[in-house]
Parts: sequence; C-alpha cells; structure tokens
Amino acid sequence: MSVIAKRVRALSGWLYVLPALILVAVFVYYPVVENFRLSTFQWNAFSTHPRYVGLGNYAGLMADPVFWRAIFNNIAYAIVSVIWQVGFGLVLAAILEETVRARLRAFLRTVYFIPATISITVTGLLFQFLYHPQFGLVNRVLVILGHPQWTHSWLGEEATAIWAIIGMSQWQSIGYVMVLLTVAMQKIPREFYEAAYIDGTTKVQAFFLITVPLLREMTTLMMILTISGAFLVFNEVKVMTDGGPNNASQVLGTWLYRSAFQNDQMGYASAIATVIFILTFGAGVAQLWGVRGKQVEF
Amino acid sequence: MDRTASLRRRRWSLIATLLVFVLVGTCSSAGLGASASTGSQLSGSIVFLERWPEPQYAPYWKKIVADYLALHPNVRIDHQAIADQPYKDKIRVLTAAGQLPDIYFSWAGDFANKFVRAGLAADLTPYMRNTPWGNSLAPAAVDAWTHGGKIYGVPISVDAKVFLYNTKIFANNGLQVPKTIDALITTCDTLKSKGIEPIAFGNKDGWAAIHYMTSLNPKYVPRATLDKDFEPSTGEFTDPGYVAALNEFSTINKHCLTQGANGIDYTVAQAELMQGKAAMYYGQTVEFKTFTRAGGAPASFANNWDFFPMPPVPNGRGDQNLLTGAPDGFMVNAKSKHIDIAVDLLKFITDRQNAEAFTKTLGRLSSVTGTATSANAFPQLIKALRVINSASGMNIWLDTILHIDIANAYLNGLEAMLNGTKTPDQIMQDVRAAAAKVRANP
Amino acid sequence: MAVRSAVPESHGELAGAHPTPLVVLASLGRMAMLTCLVLVIVYPLVWMCLAGFKSTAELFGDAWGLPGALRIENYVTAWNQGVVRYLFNSAFVTTASIFGVVLLGAWAAYGLTRLHLPFATPVLFFILGGMMLAPAVALIPLFRLLQALGIYDTYFALIVPYVAFRLPFITFLIRAYVVTLPMELEDAAVVDGASRWQIFWNVIVPLSRPILISAALLQALFAWNEFPFALVFINNDNLKTLPVGLLDMQGRLITDWPVLLAALTMASVPMILLFIVGQRQFIRGLAEGYGK
Repeated sequence: MSVIAKRVRALSGWLYVLPALILVAVFVYYPVVENFRLSTFQWNAFSTHPRYVGLGNYAGLMADPVFWRAIFNNIAYAIVSVIWQVGFGLVLAAILEETVRARLRAFLRTVYFIPATISITVTGLLFQFLYHPQFGLVNRVLVILGHPQWTHSWLGEEATAIWAIIGMSQWQSIGYVMVLLTVAMQKIPREFYEAAYIDGTTKVQAFFLITVPLLREMTTLMMILTISGAFLVFNEVKVMTDGGPNNASQVLGTWLYRSAFQNDQMGYASAIATVIFILTFGAGVAQLWGVRGKQVEF
Repeated sequence: MDRTASLRRRRWSLIATLLVFVLVGTCSSAGLGASASTGSQLSGSIVFLERWPEPQYAPYWKKIVADYLALHPNVRIDHQAIADQPYKDKIRVLTAAGQLPDIYFSWAGDFANKFVRAGLAADLTPYMRNTPWGNSLAPAAVDAWTHGGKIYGVPISVDAKVFLYNTKIFANNGLQVPKTIDALITTCDTLKSKGIEPIAFGNKDGWAAIHYMTSLNPKYVPRATLDKDFEPSTGEFTDPGYVAALNEFSTINKHCLTQGANGIDYTVAQAELMQGKAAMYYGQTVEFKTFTRAGGAPASFANNWDFFPMPPVPNGRGDQNLLTGAPDGFMVNAKSKHIDIAVDLLKFITDRQNAEAFTKTLGRLSSVTGTATSANAFPQLIKALRVINSASGMNIWLDTILHIDIANAYLNGLEAMLNGTKTPDQIMQDVRAAAAKVRANP
Repeated sequence: MAVRSAVPESHGELAGAHPTPLVVLASLGRMAMLTCLVLVIVYPLVWMCLAGFKSTAELFGDAWGLPGALRIENYVTAWNQGVVRYLFNSAFVTTASIFGVVLLGAWAAYGLTRLHLPFATPVLFFILGGMMLAPAVALIPLFRLLQALGIYDTYFALIVPYVAFRLPFITFLIRAYVVTLPMELEDAAVVDGASRWQIFWNVIVPLSRPILISAALLQALFAWNEFPFALVFINNDNLKTLPVGLLDMQGRLITDWPVLLAALTMASVPMILLFIVGQRQFIRGLAEGYGK
C-alpha cells in the first residue's frame, strides 16, 4: 500500500474509537473537571453573579456535621452491604449449589433475584408502608411476636432511619450478587469437590477450602462494586426519608442534591461532588488493580 | 337581458350585504370579547405552572385553561402542575435551567422575595394598585405579596391555620373550646385520661411542626421584633420569647400530640380525626373540604366538627390576635415574553365567576372578596372567612417567610426536638448561628 | 472441564452412612432459612398487589388482611395517572442506551485491540479511567452542559449521559473478552479480502455474542434504575422515566394510597415477568460472558 493509503487506513481505524472517546471526554471528563471549578464559587439558581471563594466551600464541608454524618451513613451502608450481599450471598450461593436439587435451585434463584428486577423507587415506596409506625408490617410482626416495646417509627427516628433504609437495600439486592457468584461458582470443576468428599471433607470445609479461594477474584470484584455503589446511594434515601429526620439519614448523594436544589448552594454541592469523586476514584483504582491479572487458572 | 343583469346585480348586492353583516358580526364579537377580557387579540404561548396535580384538583385547573383558550384562540398555554412536596426543589431546578415558567406558583415571604431579588418576578404594581382588579382582592392578601412597596404576586386564595375539633367528643366529655393555651393543655390531659388521642399530628414533611411555631412565636415575641428578624439582613433571634415559644410547643407535644410523628404523614393525622380516634387536629382552612361529606369524610364526623384558632397566651408579649395563614399566589416571570398574556390569565383566574367556582369545587376561600356565600361554601368555610377578616394580621408560614438556611435550622431542630435529641435552647442556638451566616452573606 | 451433574441425594455424606442428628438438624435449619427468605421476599410483593385492590379506609383499618372487594378502579386510576407512560419512557431510554453503549463499546474495543492503532494504550487508559468517575459528580456541570447543547429535557438528556458514563466499564468488559478471541478467523477473513468493517460485523460480533449479551443486561439494570440524572435532567411529565414518575405520583396521590400501590404493582410486574421468562437466558448470558 502506498504511504498515503496506509495513513488513511490508520486514521480511518480511529473512527471506531472516536465516538466512545468523544462521548467519554465531553460527558464524563469535562463535567468532572468543570465540577472542580464550580466548587470554588458560591452560587445558586438565583445568583445574579457567582462569588469566588476558593476553598471556602471545602472548609465549610469539614466543619459541617451533616457532611460527616453523611460519610458515616455511606460507610455503614458499605459495611452492611458487603457483609450481607457478598458474605451471605456467597454462603447462599454455595448452599444452593451444594445442597439443593436442580429444579428447586432454579426456582429459589429466580425468587431471590426478583427484588433486584424491581425499580428501587418501587421498593422505597413499598417499604414506607412496611415501616409505618402504626400499621406497618414490621411493627405488627414485632407485636405478634410479643415484643411491642421494640416497635419504632422506623423512618421517623434519627437513630433508626438510615438502618431501616439499609435494611430495605439488602432485601432488594440479596439475589443480585448471589447470582453473579453462582455463575462464577459453576466454573469450578466438580472434580475438586468429588476428590475432597472422597477424602472425607465435609461440605462446610469444602466451602472454605475450595470455593472461597477459587472465587477470590470474583468476590473482590463484587466487594469493590458493592462498596463504590454504597458511596453512590441516592435513590433509596431520597424516596424514603429525603435525608431526614433532622438530616440523620443523609448520604453524600442526597446531601449534594439538597445543597444544590433546596438550600440554594450549588458551589457547596460541587464540593461534595468532589469528595464523592475522590472516594469512588479510590474504589475504581482498586477495581482496576484487583482485576488486572487473568482469572485463576484451573 | 335586462332581467338577468338586474337579477345578477341583485345577487351580488345580496352577497355584498351578507358579507358586510358577517364582517360586522366578527368585529363586534371581537369587540364583545374585548370587553369581557382584555382582548382576544392576545397571541403567543406561555407556560403556566400550578401546584395542584392531585386528581381531585386537576380537573378544575384544566377547565380554567380550556375556558381561557376558548376566549383567546390565538394563545397557547403549556399547562404544568407539580405537587406540593417536590415543588420546592423542582422550581429551583427550573430556575437554574433557565426554564422558569411565565406564570409560576409561589409561597409568600422570603420564598417569593428570592425571585424578586434575582430579577425573576415581574412588578405587577401598575396592574394591581388602585385598579378595579387589585381592589377586588382582599387587601391583607395583596399585602403579603408586597415587597419594598411593590406588588409582585397575585394571591388566589386565603388560608388560616386553626384547631379542628370533634364536637361530639367534646360534648361527651364536658369539654369547652379552650380560651387560653393552658386551658388547651388541660383539655388534652382530660382527653388522654379518657384514652382519646388529644391532637392528631403527622410531621413527616416537617412543616406541621413549623406551623405550630408560626403561631406560637408571635404570641411571645413583639411584632416589631418579628418583622426585624424576618429580614435576612437584620435577623438576630435573640428575644427570649423565641425560647419560651419553643418551650410551649414542647409542652403541647408532651401533653397533646401524637408521638413518633416524624414518621407519620399528615394525611394519616387527618384520617385519625375523621375516624374519631383523635379529638383535634391543627389544620389549614384549605383542608376543610376533606372533612366534609363531599370531600369523602364519614358522616359521623362531617356533621360534627367545628374549629377554633390557636388560643392566646395570657402574659405573652406579642400580639395575641394574629392568625397564622398565608395566601397562595402566582408570580409572573419578569423575563417572560408575554407578560400581557400572563397578567390576563391571572385576571381571568381571579374573576368573580372563577373565584366562586374555586370556592365551590375546591372548597377553598378565594382571595377575591365576597365570593364565599352560603350558595357555594359550607358553614365552616364561611365562619373561617369571618375569623380571617377579624384577625389583626396574618402570620406567614415560618418556613417560607424565613431565609432557607434559618428555616432549615427550625425544621431540623423541631424534628430533633420531637425525637428528644435537641432542647429549645439548642434549637435557638442553631437558628441564631444560621441567622448570623445569612446576615454576613446577603 | 467436567459436566455439571445434578446433586445426588446423599451428596456430601459418605454414601450409605446413616445421617447423624446434627446433619439432619443442619439440613432442616438450611431449609428453614431458605423458606424464610422466600417468605420475606414474596410476602411484601403479594401484599403490594392486594393492597392495590383495597380502599383507603380498609388500608388504614386492616392493612394486612385481604381486601373486601376487588377494587379494580384503583388499577384503572393508576393506569390513567401515567404508569404506562413512565414504563414506556424507561423502556425507550434503556433500550436506546443499551444499543448506544454496546455498539460504541464494541467499536472501541475492536479498534483498540485489533487495529494496531498508534497511541492505543493511552487512549484505552483514558477511556477506562472514566470508570472511576461517578455520575453524581457530574450532575451540576452536566446540567449546564445539556442546556447549552439544547438537549435538556429531551430523551437525549438521559440517553447520552447513560451511554457516556457506562462506556468505560462496558468497553473494559468487551475488550477483556475480545483479546482472548483467536486470530485465525480474522486472518482467514483478511486473506479473503474482507474490510475491517466486514470483519467487525461478521467475525468479531458473532464470536462476542455472550459478552455483548452480558453487557446489555448490565446496562439494562443500570439504566432502568438510574435516578439522579432522571430527576434533574427531565422536567416534562411526558418524558419522565419510571423512578421519577413514581415519586411524582406519590406526591400527587398523597391521599390515595391504594392507587399508588396499584401503580407500584403495575410498574413491577413487567420486569418480574420478563425476568422469570428469560432467567435461563440471563444466567447463561452471564455465565458465558464471565471468563472464557
């Protein structure tokens, strides 16, 4: 081929990459960079002229008790989600694989996954009914079980609000991680288990000696996805409590939204967004780092 | 030959006469239209945003828009509605996006003044001061929409916050309408001892508690101090009356209100009243319709209720005759390209006929004077109008009259107080701190 | 790799040995736990559906009993309140973003791995780096950008960001799969005189079907539930997606809970049915996409 034709060929190859590149650059990178810039101003929907404040918004964040409460809530979200979705999800997947007949297994897997197919708004609104202090299911069950003193206004009390929301989130997502882990689990060759059982290993021991180590990569990936998801929570909290009562259930996402669109502080909201960026950046780096190698060879 | 020519001439003259009639007819009907409203020559398209998408209110507004369009065929109206709770964020999103509608709903107070300060509210003084239209509206209502001597909004309804009570329960327990706050507390104690919820209360949205404070603050704090504190540039909130008012609310909460209210919707509280589980409910006159047969209330309640305003505090340093309530209203976008159409639509909405229909269909008191009669309003509503007209003034809801940061300090503080995690002193500390920040950053 | 066989009855115990009480207890405990989980999941959903048939008074009075009469009008009202429109909008935006992200991601993956382009590696890292940037961070700048571009409050206001924000992850996914594809088929096609375009569509895409299906499913799950963008970038009620539309309905129907619950039921049923019908394909798609 002539040199020019080669050049044209090479350049035309870029056409495959260009759309993705442009979209990511314009709609992902640019806004993030612009967000830094906006966070150095004090402005809102009604501002006639924005006011430059440098790092003033960040100083405000550090001194803001609601900000720290939000971070605490996000961390609580992350910890519970990892333990329940990844930890218990792994156990559940293993139980289904090892101890349940094939037909029943498929049925149970489907049922457990159904909540994940429902819109988060639906679950949020549904659980508002379940958590209702007077005729909600949760309080009613507690009364039936003989413990009326444990009833609470779950979404109305500062101490319980965020935990009630976290609980709802676990109800919704139990099937999701479990199914992904099941898929990975099915790749483990049966011979390993057969050999172990012949040697007299119990199922529980096999779980810890075979399943867990071989799934390490998948579980790490799931953990990282769950944790970064926990820092991006918005939907559930907005729908169920809008961050209340008294900002007790704010998470970074809802505090950002409220600062921008209720408290008339968009610069402040951009500062919160920067913090979210730093946290999810860390999670993203861990994600890329954790899966950089090939899968475990069988 | 002559005959056909003359016939032809006659035919043409007939047609010509008909044409003249038609032309005159159209012109004069246009003229008639002009006298009914300010002219069907109005043309253009506007966006009209109101706050009542609920299934029971939506048809009324749809009809108004349809009626207006019928009278003004050259006008196009993009009619939108956003519900009460999401309205506060949605209007800010619209403003930030540069999509503020030509006509938009607003609450009176700093909420409206924000738009004024940002140059987004048209000055309606020329249309409303000393004009037939302006004079047809209740003066107190127009007053609430005046800022810096200029009128920026059109009130469409008047409202007041009062204690609704079940007359049967009161009668059965030998109770009278309390004449002072202390008497109210005693009434609550009596009801509690009989196993009846004294006052139904649902604070999930946060404003229910704030409405109590809207009424209590003016009873303990002198009017002049209040007015000074409401101004963002001069608000200090140092008067000891504020703490006293919060203490009073705390007492009311302990003796009278439903516990765990932060998780309870106000509609649940309404239902408790209607089903006879609670004796009283602090509600707005715009809610009155819900408690009538027409509004869906059970007959056992609908025929047996009355109301009284917040009772006075006998040593309170404030004005005991102020009534809590604020007119709902619309503002016009100063940047609108069709202020004339917007003003015309608002005039239409507040004309006598539509105002009477407003009261009849929606069960609310219109801001247009003299439109609530026994023909279109039920007895409690007529009494409400009397009570409103005899008040020495109106207190605008605390969360809309205050700057958003100070309002938040109150909202959050009250939620915390209901949970037992904050004291009145701590709440006022937060309020003062917020006020200081607002003073520094006007 | 051995074919996965059905779990034999006595799996785990030495065949023929009598199960000890502890083992029986453990097995009963497991069954109890699994059943409990099923109840916890199914009961609220069934309740939601039944509650849609109640009247408001019934809901307040006896929330957990069966409805007295089947009030279908609640479901009709919910329908009229626009649930179907919200479902349609969500379906439209989700499908469009799936096509967008899978197509652009596949192109980019192909271009960066098979075409030996100069600077391929830095560009790849640039695109993958987007994975670390969360949508929430871009909310306000994107809000202003969309207005400037004139696509605010249109379907594109959602489709474009949904595609852009998921491209890094999806490209990563597809790329990881494409690099493992054998070169022979491609080489044969080149020998046959096929252009790169033809190679992409006739060789790469068919071979990558499993990962493309996985990518589509993951994108569907993301777009269907996406909320902050949908909340801020769309104001027109006719364009609202399901999450935001339902929240608006809650604001409108604040006194009409059975209708709201009916709407919630109507919003959930399509996806549930879709999943039950397609769950085997779904699992297979995931399985084939994971690890080759």
